[in-house]
Amino acid sequence: MDIKAYIESGMIESYVLGIADDQERAELEQYSRQYPEIRAAIDAFELLLEQNAMASAIQPAAHVKANILAEIAGEFADNDTSSKVVSMSTPAIGWLRYVAAASVILLVVSAATNVYFYRQFREASSQYQALLIEKSSLLAQNQTLQAKGLDLYQGMQIMSDPAYTKVSLPGVKADENKLATVFWDKKSNEVYLLANRLPQTNPDTQYQLWAIVDGKPVDAGMVDVCNGLCKMKNISNATAFAITLEKRGGSPTPNLNQLQVLGGVNG
Amino acid sequence: MEVAKKYSESELVRLLQQRSQHVFSYLYDNYSGALLSIICNIVKDQELANDVLQEVFVKIWRQIESYDSSKGRLFTWMLNIARNASIDTVRSKSYQNSLQNRELSEDVYVSAGTAQLQVDQIGLRKVVHQLKEEHRVLIDLSYFQGFTQDEISKMLDIPLGTVKTRLRTALTQLRGIIKP
Repeated sequence: MDIKAYIESGMIESYVLGIADDQERAELEQYSRQYPEIRAAIDAFELLLEQNAMASAIQPAAHVKANILAEIAGEFADNDTSSKVVSMSTPAIGWLRYVAAASVILLVVSAATNVYFYRQFREASSQYQALLIEKSSLLAQNQTLQAKGLDLYQGMQIMSDPAYTKVSLPGVKADENKLATVFWDKKSNEVYLLANRLPQTNPDTQYQLWAIVDGKPVDAGMVDVCNGLCKMKNISNATAFAITLEKRGGSPTPNLNQLQVLGGVNG
Repeated sequence: MEVAKKYSESELVRLLQQRSQHVFSYLYDNYSGALLSIICNIVKDQELANDVLQEVFVKIWRQIESYDSSKGRLFTWMLNIARNASIDTVRSKSYQNSLQNRELSEDVYVSAGTAQLQVDQIGLRKVVHQLKEEHRVLIDLSYFQGFTQDEISKMLDIPLGTVKTRLRTALTQLRGIIKP
C-alpha cells in the first residue's frame, strides 16, 4: 500500500471533519493503528484545525458561561464557584419554599382533621355497640315477661275453672303465716300448687308436696320456682295435702318434724 | 492562546471525568471562543449560536466519559459535538421557519441585520471560500450542512464515486490553504 498517496488522498481530512462514511471511517481507523505515519497525519490535521479555530475564536456572550454552570450546578465534585450558582437559582427556591410551607400546613391540617373525625367515629361506634346490647337485653326481658304473663294467664284459667277443687294449706303450729294453695281436678287427677307464702329454702333443702291417700302420705312432687301455678304429680282420692321441708331432691317418706302447711279437702 | 495552557489534554480529560468544576471552567475559558467560531460557521444568528454553545458545553460535560483519546484529540471530539449540535439546530423546524421570515424582511431592508456575522470571513468558511465553486459546494453540503456523500450524490445527480473523488480533491486543497 502506498501510504504517502493515501495520506494525500484527502481521506484524512474527510475522516477528521466527520464527512467520511462508515466504511471509510473503519478503514482509516484500521490503517491508523497499522501505520504510524497515518496516525501522525491525522494528529497533524487535527492540530491544524484546532489552531485555525483558536485563531478565529469569537468571544461568546457573557451570560453563556453562567447559564451553563447553573445548568450543571449539581454535578460538580468540587464547588468553588457554586455559591454564585446557588444565588442565581434562589428566587425559584424562595417561591418553592412558600409552596412547600403551604403543603406542610395543609398536610398538618388534614392530619388533625383525620384524628378528629377518627375520634368521633370511635365514639359513635362504641355508643352504637352499647345500644345494640341494651336492645337485645330489653328484647330478652320482654320475652321473659311475655312467658310469665302467659303462665299467669293459664294459672288464672285453672284457678277459675269449676272442675278444680281449691284446697287451702295454712301454716301449722307456730307457722300460721305460711300459706299454700292446691288446685286439684278430681276427674283428671291433675294437681297444681300455688306457693302463696313459703319462705325461701337454703340450697340444700326443697319443699315437697304430699297427698294423704287412704291415711297414708303419697309423694306429689317437688316444689320448684315457677310463675304462678306449679304443675305437680297427678293424684287421685286424696283427703288432704301437706308440704314438708326435705333435703334437695325429695324423700320417699315425709319428715313430719318439718311439716310446713297442711289442709284437708272439703267435701 | 498558548499562554493559558496550564493543562495537557490527558490531564484535562482526567480532571473533567473526576467532575472538577475548576477544570471545566478552564476548558470553557480556553475553548469556548474556538467552538463558537465553529458554530457560527453553521448557525448564522449570533444569539442562537450562543444558545448552541451553551448546549454544546453541557453535552461535553455530560458525555466526557465517552471520549476516547485513542480516536483523536479532545478538541476534535468537541468540534464534532459543536458541528453536530449546530447542524441539528439549523435543520430544526423552528429555525427553518424563523429563517424564512427573516429572509423576507431582509429582502425589504437590504443588509439591515447587524447581528449577522460575515461568516465567510472566519474559520473554516474563510478557507472554503477560497476554493473553486464545484469544490466549495461539496464541502458546504457535507461539512457545514451535514449531508452524507450518498445524499449529495442524489441531490446533485452526480455518481457517488465522483462525489467522493471531488470531495477528497477539495479537502486536499483545503488543507493546502488552511493556516494555523
